[in-house]
Parts: sequence; structure tokens; C-alpha cells
Amino acid sequence: MKSNKLIGRAERWLFARNGLMILLVAIATLEATTLVQYYFSRKGIKEEATNRALSELEATELRITDILDQVETAVRSNVWSIRKDLETPDDLWAVTYRIVADNPMIMGSAIALKPDYYPSKGYYFAPYSYSDGNRIISLQLGSETYDYPTKEWYTKPMELGSGYWSEPYYDTGGGEALMTTFSMPVQDWDGNDIGVVTADVSLNWMTDLVGNVQVYPTAFNVMVSRSGQFMVCPSKALIMNNTIQQVASTFEDSLAVRAVARAMLSGERGSHVVHYRDTVEHVFYAPLPRTGWSMATIVPHEEIYGNVQRINRLIRILQLVGLLLLGFIIFFSARSQLRLREVSEKKNRIENELHVAREIQLSMIPKVFPPYPDRSDIDIAASIIPAKEVGGDLYDFYIHDEKLYFCIGDVSGKGVPASLLMAVTRSLFRTVSAHEKSPGRIVSSINESMSETNDRNMFVTFFAGVLDLGTGHLRYCNAGHNFPLITGPDNAVRCMEVIPNLPLGVASDFHFVEQEMELARGESLFLYTDGLTEAENAGQELFGNERMIRTARKTGNQHAEDQMRAMILAVHDHVGTAKQSDDLTMLFLRYLGSDADPSNLERHLILHNDIQQIPQLADFVEAVSREACLDQSLSLNLNLALEEAVTNVILYAYPEKTDGLVEIEAIIRPDRLDFIISDSGKPFNPLQVPPPDLSLPVEERPVGGLGIYLVNTIMDHVSYAREDGKNILSMNKLLKKNN
Amino acid sequence: MEVTILQQENGWTARMAGRLDTPASLDVANQIKPMLEHADGTIVLDCSEMTYISSSGLRIFLTIRKQASVQGGHVIVSGLSDDIRQVFMMTGFLQLFDIQ
Repeated sequence: MKSNKLIGRAERWLFARNGLMILLVAIATLEATTLVQYYFSRKGIKEEATNRALSELEATELRITDILDQVETAVRSNVWSIRKDLETPDDLWAVTYRIVADNPMIMGSAIALKPDYYPSKGYYFAPYSYSDGNRIISLQLGSETYDYPTKEWYTKPMELGSGYWSEPYYDTGGGEALMTTFSMPVQDWDGNDIGVVTADVSLNWMTDLVGNVQVYPTAFNVMVSRSGQFMVCPSKALIMNNTIQQVASTFEDSLAVRAVARAMLSGERGSHVVHYRDTVEHVFYAPLPRTGWSMATIVPHEEIYGNVQRINRLIRILQLVGLLLLGFIIFFSARSQLRLREVSEKKNRIENELHVAREIQLSMIPKVFPPYPDRSDIDIAASIIPAKEVGGDLYDFYIHDEKLYFCIGDVSGKGVPASLLMAVTRSLFRTVSAHEKSPGRIVSSINESMSETNDRNMFVTFFAGVLDLGTGHLRYCNAGHNFPLITGPDNAVRCMEVIPNLPLGVASDFHFVEQEMELARGESLFLYTDGLTEAENAGQELFGNERMIRTARKTGNQHAEDQMRAMILAVHDHVGTAKQSDDLTMLFLRYLGSDADPSNLERHLILHNDIQQIPQLADFVEAVSREACLDQSLSLNLNLALEEAVTNVILYAYPEKTDGLVEIEAIIRPDRLDFIISDSGKPFNPLQVPPPDLSLPVEERPVGGLGIYLVNTIMDHVSYAREDGKNILSMNKLLKKNN
Repeated sequence: MEVTILQQENGWTARMAGRLDTPASLDVANQIKPMLEHADGTIVLDCSEMTYISSSGLRIFLTIRKQASVQGGHVIVSGLSDDIRQVFMMTGFLQLFDIQ
């Protein structure tokens, strides 16, 4: 039991380990594929996002550049007019007026001449025209309060000798518009710088343009000037009030923002990752050439990777569900496998137990053949082929007192109950036949015992016989069993004459009729159960009586073993591969007769020290007398002598109420009969008892003392000996030839 | 063994059938007790169906005979087979009984 438990635990552990292994491998595989998938899709998405953002920025840049080009071209195309009108300074108003009038995106234009260029005009001379939305107003820009030669829009182009876009600024003329000014130096015909020509451009269109770029739904854009001033920003308060560098310091991740600022201000193109509060933002930036401004689009991390993260999360959930399912499957399959194992173990155990039961059952019946190798008068073969592991068929035989007691039976039903009843029947047969010589009484007695306790209404067909091995005299009684066959040495087969009676266990008071017959030397008695005649082949055709008799006829002169083998072969041939449906039991008894010298014929009888056993002694003496072919008178005298001697032992040898035995041995010799009576009682020599005086008158005659006298009178010789703690009384009777 | 005991006008008749062996004698000894108490008449022991007798059976016969002798009765043994007559002879019983 304990080792079973240990094995069970070890098995459970093994199952758990295997299940865990499968689960771990599945998790590892899923994890690896997910990671690979995640990594590559992220990479792909990042590339895609970068391309998308930068190309969007580029497209915006192109559109802005296009407009800026238009402004520059408009300004440049008037340089010639300026040179032409240099001689007439007042015509320069008209030039500025025209520039504003011709170019809707130019809000104002000035021609700012070097100080003191026209001595007549004073130190400052800068004709300027601007549109207030309805009309174009012209005025002179320079004054004591507006010292334009020091302004950036004047100095820078003069320094650079090329066109220059100013830092953005708010129009101070009352408009809310963000402005920038393009200015470029102007030369006279000789190539000397005479001043600059400017165009004021509103940047509203640009902020709209940049602001409307939507790379991702929640992305936003900024634009900064050369100095880092915000030109476009979702937070309006920052515009023109703060530089990107100032803002950078408000970020926790200021280093990254500074790096972005630096890259943007130095006109680089690229991307950066910036942590802002709890979010991660991707910054894509590109410069706007000529102006030195830089645009950036800021996309939340979530926006770019949101999908892949959502998909990843979905995959994870699916994986988890899958793994849980897998776990359940492993758990339940392991459990059902364990249960299966348990069931099959239980089945194995039951099968083992049935196997043991079968062995016990077989150990009850004689199964060593030949059973009496040193006997030449009887040749026996028997077999039981059970249909199920334990069967309900039985046979049994044994030799006692030169008589073969045998039986065959078939218990109704199959399996364990049948087997148990078989065991009961067999032990009843042994018990009853130990003190009953008559098969009729044996069968009746078994029937009574069985009927009393037959609660399950099972019954047994049974055949019992007692074969006198000396004479071939067979007494038998049938209890509803199949009729046995008798096969002869001449291969003749006949059915035994049998009265059916009733099976055992049916009616307790049934009178079983006993029969008798003489078995000739060389004849065999063949007993079988219906498993033989009813053996079916695949076509459900029975083996039948005819085949059985035909087979028996071929082998009637053979050894019992060979007869049986031939019968088994015939059944096998008939049945083929069909399943055996019933127990198949056979018993072959081949009577060969006694070849032994009758002078050596010995017979034994053992009795208890019970006076009621005397009738058995009478039967014994009668049997011996018959074997010795004595006449009835002598038989009666011998009976008397032996009864006297044995009664003596029964009554006096053992202390009262103790169990003792008396053994009687008879040896039949051609010329005499020897009887030896022995017991283990107290030493007593009956021969020392004085003989009675037969001449005394009746009044004086003692009532006892006649027994030993009778023994002495009847027997020819009587002697006593005490050997090995036994009283041994030997006597003999000489036989006359005519006896 | 079967014993049939009949009380008659002037005594008893006992019919014994079968084997009068030792165990049978124990039974018969009980059955003849009333006969022994009134053994003053004629007691007929019918042995025509008796097949066997042992010394215990002979004791029964002798007991009856003795009791009759004491009480003044008379015992007649009838129907003895040859074999049993031989036993009677061996034991000197032929002289003790009125054999008919």
C-alpha cells in the first residue's frame, strides 16, 4: 500500500513537471515571437513615422519657400526701377507704392537710403508705403525717433550684401499680425550701395500653414526663429514672448529639449525623443532655409506606437487566455490520465486477484497428470479450460480403499460466484465421500447441504461415481449432468445409461437414484461439461454430440491423455478463432483392471473409537470377502471375529471421551486372509483373558468374556504384539481351495 | 436392526430383524427392559429375520435367559439361521436355550 502511494505521488509529480515544462516552452515561444514581432513592428512604425513627419515638414517648407521666393522676386524686380528713379527721389514713393499694390502678401515696402544720400532731403530719407487693409498710405520712415540706419533690417543686408529676412516681430502699427521683413541692398548703376529696399510680409498665412500641418491627429507643430523665438506654437502666450531655450529650462528633461533647440537653431534636420511629464514625445524638425527658421512637429509617443501597443496588449491577452487554456488542458488531461491509470491499476488488481482465485481454484483439483503414475489399473486425464478468468466447472477424483471416487460438475453462471460455488461443491464432495461410499447418498447429501444455503438460486449439474478398481464395478449417480460416454478398446462408443435426476441445489428433498454397471478392462469413461458440446464456431454452429462421438470413436483404444488431446484438438478445429463462450471441462477415466497378484491385495480401514462406526467395519469385511470370493457363512464369521476384536479396542483401549483410532489392515492371499488390528491405546493383550467355561449352567455363566473367545475360535491363528506404542493384534484365516 | 416386542397372554414375543451387532445391541438392551421386569412367562425370541449376531447380541440373549431363570420364566429361541446357529454352538448357547 505504502509503495503504491509513493508511486502515485511520484507519478503526480512527473505529470506536474511535464505539464509545467510544456507550459514553460509555450510561454517562451510565445514570448519570443511576440518580442520579435513587437521589435520589428516598432522599428517599422518608427521609420514610417519619421518619414511621414519629415516629408510633411519638407512639403510645408517647400510651400513656405515658394511664398518667400515670390516676395523676394517682387522686391528684386523693382531694383531696376529704384536705380532709374534715383535722380528723382520723390518718384521712389511710387516704387514703394507699386510694390505694395502689386503684391498682396507684401503689407508694406520701404526704400531706405543711406543717411545724407540726398543732401536736400536731410539725414534720413526712406520713402515708405503700407496697406492698412483698405488703402495704401505713403510716408517718410526716418526721423529723430526712428533712426533706421541702426535697425537690423537695414544693417544686416548692408553688412551681408545680400537679401535678409528679419526676425519676426509684431506689427506695431496696431495690427495683431506677426510680421517679418525682407530687405536687400540696392546699388546704383556704378555698383555702389545706396541703401536697402524692404518688403514687410505678414506671417499669418505661414502660422496657419504650419499650424495646420497634421502628421498625427494629436500632433502639434512649432516654429522658431533664428534666435529661438516661438513663431508658431499651440500655446499662444509663448509666441514672440519666449525662446525655445527659455522653455527648455522648464522641462524636467531639459537636456533633451536643449539638444532639440540646439539642433533646430543650427538648421539641422532630424528627430529627438523628449520626456515631458508622464508622456514621451517625439520631436521631428527641419530647417527653413534662407530665413534660418526651423519647424518642428511634436508627436506623442502614444500616437505613434499606440496601435502597436494596443495590438501588443491584445496579443498578450490572447496569449494569456491561450496559456490558461493550455494549462487547463494539461491539468485536466493529466488528471484524467491519472484517473485512467488508477482505473487500470484497479482493473489490474482485480485481474490479479481473479488470477490468484483461479490458482487457488486450480490447486483444489488434481492437476498433475498422470495422477497415479505407479498404478496400472487406472489411467486418468482431465482438463478445465475456463471461458472467463475463473470458471464454474469442476472435476475431482481420488482413490481411497482401492476405489476411485470421482465427480464432474458445471455450476450455473460464470465468474467469481460460480467459482465459489464450484469450490463449495468440490469440498462437499470430498467431505461427504470420506464417509459415504454410495454415490447416491453422496449426491443426496451434497444436494441437501447446498439447497439449505442456496440463496442465489444457483444450481450445479453434477455426476459422481465410485469405481471399484479391483472389479470394475461402477456405482454412479447423475444430478442433471450431461450423459457420459463409454469408449471401448475396439473404438466402440456408447452412451452410459443414466437417469437424469435433478441438478444439485434445486430441491432439497429430492431422491437421487443411484445406478451401477460393470466397466470392462480397457473401457474408458468420458465425462464432460456442456462447454464441449456447445462450443460455438464463428458461424454459431455447435460442436455437438455427433462430432464428439466421432472424435471419441477414433481414440477409444488410446491413453486417456491422448483421447483428451484429440478431443481438445477437435474442439479447437471447430471453434477456430471464435471466442470461447463457456468453460470446457473433460475427464477421461480409462479402466485397465488390476494386473496385480491378488495375493498381495491389501485393504485398509481406519475407524474412530466410536461404536457407531461398526457398520463401516461390516462393509469393509464384506468387500474384502467379496474380493477374496468367500462364501457368505465364512464372511459372516470373519465379520464376527473382527467386530469382537475391534469392539474391544473401541470400548477399552482409550480413556473414555478421548479420540483414538483403530486401524484395520486386510491382506488377501491365495491361501489365507490376514487381518492386523492396531491401536495406540493402553497396552492390552486380549489373549491373556481366560476362555469362558462353556459347561457352566446358565445361572453361573458370566454375561461377558465371549468376544476374544469367538475371535480365537473363528480364526486359525491369533497373536498379539506391542510395537512402537501400539497394540497389534494379528490373525489369519486359512482358505480352503473350494472357497 | 429392528426389534418388535409384543406382550402376550402368557409372556412375550420379541422379533429381531437384521444385524444384532454391538451398536445395535446397545439399543436393543434398552428396548427389552420391560420384558426383563416380567420374565415369568414364556418368552419367544424370534430370530428368523436376524442375519448376524455378535457377542454383545449374545449377552442380550443370556441376560434374558438369566432373568427368566430367576423369575421362573421360559425362553424359546426360534428361527435360527445356520450361520447364527453355528455361533450359538461355538459359544455353548445351544445348551442354554430351548431352540425350536
